[in-house]
Amino acid sequence: MSDETFDPAISALEERSRALFRESVAGLDMGTRSRLTQVRHAALAAADRSQRRGWWLLRPPVWVSAAGVTAAAVLSVALWFGGPSTHHGQMTAADTQSKFEDLDIIASSDESSGDAMDMLQDDIDFYAWADKTANGEPTA
Amino acid sequence: MSGFDTLPGAWMVWDGPAPAPGGAVLEQTRELDKFLGEIERRAFRMAQVALRDPDDAMDAVQDAMLKLARNYAARPSAEWRPLFYRILENGIRDLQRRRSVRKRFMVWLPGPKEDPDNEAQDPLESVADGGTPVPERLMQDEALQKLESSLRELPPRQREAFMLRNFEGLDVAETASAMGCSEGSVKTHYSRAVHTLREQLGEVW
Repeated sequence: MSDETFDPAISALEERSRALFRESVAGLDMGTRSRLTQVRHAALAAADRSQRRGWWLLRPPVWVSAAGVTAAAVLSVALWFGGPSTHHGQMTAADTQSKFEDLDIIASSDESSGDAMDMLQDDIDFYAWADKTANGEPTA
Repeated sequence: MSGFDTLPGAWMVWDGPAPAPGGAVLEQTRELDKFLGEIERRAFRMAQVALRDPDDAMDAVQDAMLKLARNYAARPSAEWRPLFYRILENGIRDLQRRRSVRKRFMVWLPGPKEDPDNEAQDPLESVADGGTPVPERLMQDEALQKLESSLRELPPRQREAFMLRNFEGLDVAETASAMGCSEGSVKTHYSRAVHTLREQLGEVW
């Protein structure tokens, strides 16, 4: 056992102490042996639970789907407001205001779709006139 | 450390043992059961030598078994022994530290002092199963007591090196892994331990 040059006295000490230790291990009382067995079984049960928990945690839970939907909604809104603008990539207060209004119209389209159509109808005459003017046609 | 770690850019990372398929888990549990069954008594005795108190020794062994089973069961079985003893030695050191703090605190409190050598025990619990004749048994007990008391007087690292190498039969590399030091340190600790024991136990022991 010793890594030094062989010394019979040291070797005898190692052997004697090892034998005594093994004897004491073999002579452990039944109460201690029983407790050790219980402790071992508890440890193995804990390991088993740990393994099962590992599987459960790796499975995608329900909240992951809900979080995905929420993240998609937030991303859509961010893209809507962060889209290309006409002022060298900088968004002005007017742009923001306009987009808020558009969003408001879309969000309330169920209730006020009639009003939106009326506004479009009112402007049709103006767009027809503007088109004719641009093409050099005579206007009425 | 095992379990979940939070990393930048990720929600959670499971760094514990990789879950194994059902059959493999069963086989692993069986192997771990066999391993722990083989070493539990020696581990208990080694903890008892270091801590003197059987209940503390049982706690240390229980803690080491739980930690090994929870955190390292998925490791190759060849690594279990050094890992187990590393956990056990850490646990023993923690218990010794706590005990010394408690002792320092108890000095200031009135009441009976603790005497670990004079604890009431169930006599049936201390009945050994050996068939050794009584006079020989007594001599062995005396020699064992001398050995244990000399081991307790050794510096902790020397005691660890001696018990792991000589009682548990770990080689130098495994002992170094269990003690968390270099192989050279193991050899030094072991050599010093052996020579001190030789001086303390005498020629005739």
